[in-house]
Amino acid sequence: MTSTLKGITLKGSAELVAEFFSFGINSILYQRGIYPPETFTRVTHYDMSLQLTTDSKLKNYLTNVVTQLKEWLFECTVQKLVLVITCLETNEVLERWQFDIECDKSAKESSAPREKSIKTIQDEIRSVIRQITATVTFLPLLETPCSFDLLIYTDKDLAVPEKWEISGPQIIDQSEEVRLRSFTTSIHKVNSMVAYKRTDSV
Amino acid sequence: MSLNMDLEDDTTVLTTLKSFNSFISHTEPPQRLSEQSAGIGNLQSQYKRSMELLEAADRVRSKNRYLQLDQEKKQMELSHKRARFELEKTASDSARDLEHEVDRNQDLLGRIKKLEERETGAAKNLSEQVEANRALRKNLESLNKKLEEQDTKVNTANQTISSLKDEIRELKQKIQNQSSTISTQSLENQELQEQLDLQRRKYQEVSQLCQSFQAAQSSCSEHIIKIKELERRLALQEQDVAIVESVKSEVAKVPDLEKELKRLREDNAFLRESRENCSLLKEEVEGLRRKLERMAKTKEELVNMELEKERLAEKLQAWENLGQSTGLNIRKPEDLSREVIQIQQREIALKEQNYTLNSRVRSVERSQSELRAELSQQRSKTLEEQKKREAQDSLVRRLQKRVLLLTKERDGMRAILESYDTELAPTEYSPQLSKRLREAEDVLQKTQNHNAEMEVQLTKAQEETGTLKLQLQTVELELESLKKQQTSAVDSTSLVNKEEVSILRQKIEDLEAERQRLEEQNNILEMRLERHNLQGDYDPVKTRVLHLKMNPTTVAKQQRQQEVEALREEVTRLRELVRSLQDGGALVHSQDDSSMHTPNLGLSLPPSKEVLDLRKQMESSELRNQRLKEVFQRKIQEFRTVCYVLTGYQMDITTENQYRLTSVYAEHMDDSLLFKKGSNGSMQLMETEFSKTLGEMVALHLHHQKSIPAFLSAVTLDLFSRQTTI
Repeated sequence: MTSTLKGITLKGSAELVAEFFSFGINSILYQRGIYPPETFTRVTHYDMSLQLTTDSKLKNYLTNVVTQLKEWLFECTVQKLVLVITCLETNEVLERWQFDIECDKSAKESSAPREKSIKTIQDEIRSVIRQITATVTFLPLLETPCSFDLLIYTDKDLAVPEKWEISGPQIIDQSEEVRLRSFTTSIHKVNSMVAYKRTDSV
Repeated sequence: MSLNMDLEDDTTVLTTLKSFNSFISHTEPPQRLSEQSAGIGNLQSQYKRSMELLEAADRVRSKNRYLQLDQEKKQMELSHKRARFELEKTASDSARDLEHEVDRNQDLLGRIKKLEERETGAAKNLSEQVEANRALRKNLESLNKKLEEQDTKVNTANQTISSLKDEIRELKQKIQNQSSTISTQSLENQELQEQLDLQRRKYQEVSQLCQSFQAAQSSCSEHIIKIKELERRLALQEQDVAIVESVKSEVAKVPDLEKELKRLREDNAFLRESRENCSLLKEEVEGLRRKLERMAKTKEELVNMELEKERLAEKLQAWENLGQSTGLNIRKPEDLSREVIQIQQREIALKEQNYTLNSRVRSVERSQSELRAELSQQRSKTLEEQKKREAQDSLVRRLQKRVLLLTKERDGMRAILESYDTELAPTEYSPQLSKRLREAEDVLQKTQNHNAEMEVQLTKAQEETGTLKLQLQTVELELESLKKQQTSAVDSTSLVNKEEVSILRQKIEDLEAERQRLEEQNNILEMRLERHNLQGDYDPVKTRVLHLKMNPTTVAKQQRQQEVEALREEVTRLRELVRSLQDGGALVHSQDDSSMHTPNLGLSLPPSKEVLDLRKQMESSELRNQRLKEVFQRKIQEFRTVCYVLTGYQMDITTENQYRLTSVYAEHMDDSLLFKKGSNGSMQLMETEFSKTLGEMVALHLHHQKSIPAFLSAVTLDLFSRQTTI
């Protein structure tokens, strides 16, 4: 991962953040029941047990996105990653998991590693994933068949790669927002939050 | 040793043999020579020679023999020596052995002594042992005595055991007796139990009787209730009769009432007319009242108007008074407005003046600052000039000193010259002296010239300083005047300034308030922005949103779309099929034609024919079914009547697995027996009103004999006997 145990480089930071997204997206998909729970398998990471998908199509898609994301993280051109959950019957956006990424662009010029151990970063990541798991208690139940999409907010001057296209922000009409924990590798800071459609019963 | 000796012997033999052989070989060639050279004549010599040779050989042999013997002798000596030596050796050995033996002997003697000592010790021990033996014997005897005593005890114990065995035997006999009594008691017990069973049966019968009695009681109470009800009805009827009578009396009054009715109707018509009149009058009254109210209102308004008018008049008076008191020509509001306009104009003019003054003050301030700068320049200049003047003064003083020195010199020179003149007669004027005099005079002239120049310079400098001083004074004056002007200007503009300051303060306060408002707005907007950000809004100028073309949502949507299309197609296809089926019967021939266009309809044609066949089949089967049903019903009815006639019971199935039996001879229609079929096929009698009355038979035939037919026949016989006796 990184050359030194103590410090962290831009490359290592991008790797860590991309890894976090991979695990985070998997656990959201599992927790929200977008894919059936039997298609997931248990894996131990960050000193906690996580769920990883075994669906080959989904796996392929996620690796595609995460590798591209890693590149952009390394270039510090990514601003946000959003997981949108859409109702298939009404084409309505029900949930938006938003991860704001603040890149320290000065790290691009100076390659000196930052003083932050991987262990503390992983501790922060663990608490974020725990909170994602805990959000199931207050999020409304997804009663209709749903699907998800990953949106990436990038800088305007970035060239759109092949297989990618420009999308809308997919904003929820009348939403409730909840801010979650954040973590930082001292190069990338990730603020996480979830917005969900306000139900009429409340 | 001896072997060695033999070897030596052999070697000697060998050496002799060798020497002999060598000798022979040595002698042969000369023999040959002799043979060749001498021939037969030499036979004697030859013989002699051979003899000699033989002798020599003998000699040699003897010699050898001698040597051999000698050696043997030596050997013998040697063996002798050896034997002697060995003998000596053996002698010494035996001597040593002897010594050993002696030593051993001594040791053995020591040992014998020790053994003897031991023997004495052992004897002592033996005596001790003997004594101990005796003591043990004594002990043994005592023990034997004890043993005998114990034997006696054992004997006594045996006797007691035998006595106890006897007791046991007695006890066994007793137990047998007891068991026999128990058996007799158990027999008694069984008898008692049988009695108890009998008692129980009786009790059951009694309880059944009791139940029937209760039922009778309840029926009795119902009858009483019915009687009461009937009595109540009777009373009601009596009341009705009374009412009818009163009604009849009332009917007699009817014609009178009709007359009265006519009269009343007339009255009614009259009253209606009067009522109409009355309502008209009421309307009029209402109109008049309204008018009155309006009048009262107008009156009040009038009073108010008058009051207002008075107030206005007072106001007007006050205004007029004001106009007169102020001396202004205010008579009308126009005058006032004119006046106000004038005042405003004046204000405007004053404001303009104020502005001009302000501007002037500003220009004056500017000029003042300029002048200050100039003044400072001038001051620096004057300082420079003063320095220069001081320098000039010092120069002048030096020059004056020099002049004094020169004049003193000159005076000195002149005195010298005069002294010379006096000393020397005019005749004695030497040209040299005159020359020197001239030279001195020239020098003097020059110094004088220089002096004059210096003085001129001095005056010039003094003049310059004078002019500078003048300039300074003028500048100072100017400055003072300016200061005065400024103070005056400040005095004049101070009021204006204050106003301006207050206005500016006001403005500042306004601006501050606005700033706060804007800050708040800014905060609100930032919050809104944050909220938008949370909701996922973005700045399209800086940001761009991307996603993979083949993301799960679009894939799922496409799949859904495809599914929907497929379903729609299926639906349309099915709809057509249904329509064709609906039209099927009527348009068989036309569909034959149209089957060219739609293969689906063509396929559906043969079924329509089949359907007709099937319908026919169905109708025939239904007919058959109905007929069968009818036959079946008839047969069943027949069977039931036969059963009824033969067995005397009508059987009905009330519910699943429940059969009701009604006897021919039943006293009431409701008297029936209810049987239930158990899961294992056995029949059970259910309790009914009728079965409660048959307790005895139930007990006898069902509980005891366990035969339902017997029970039923008993019931039949019972009922039949009852009917026939009646």
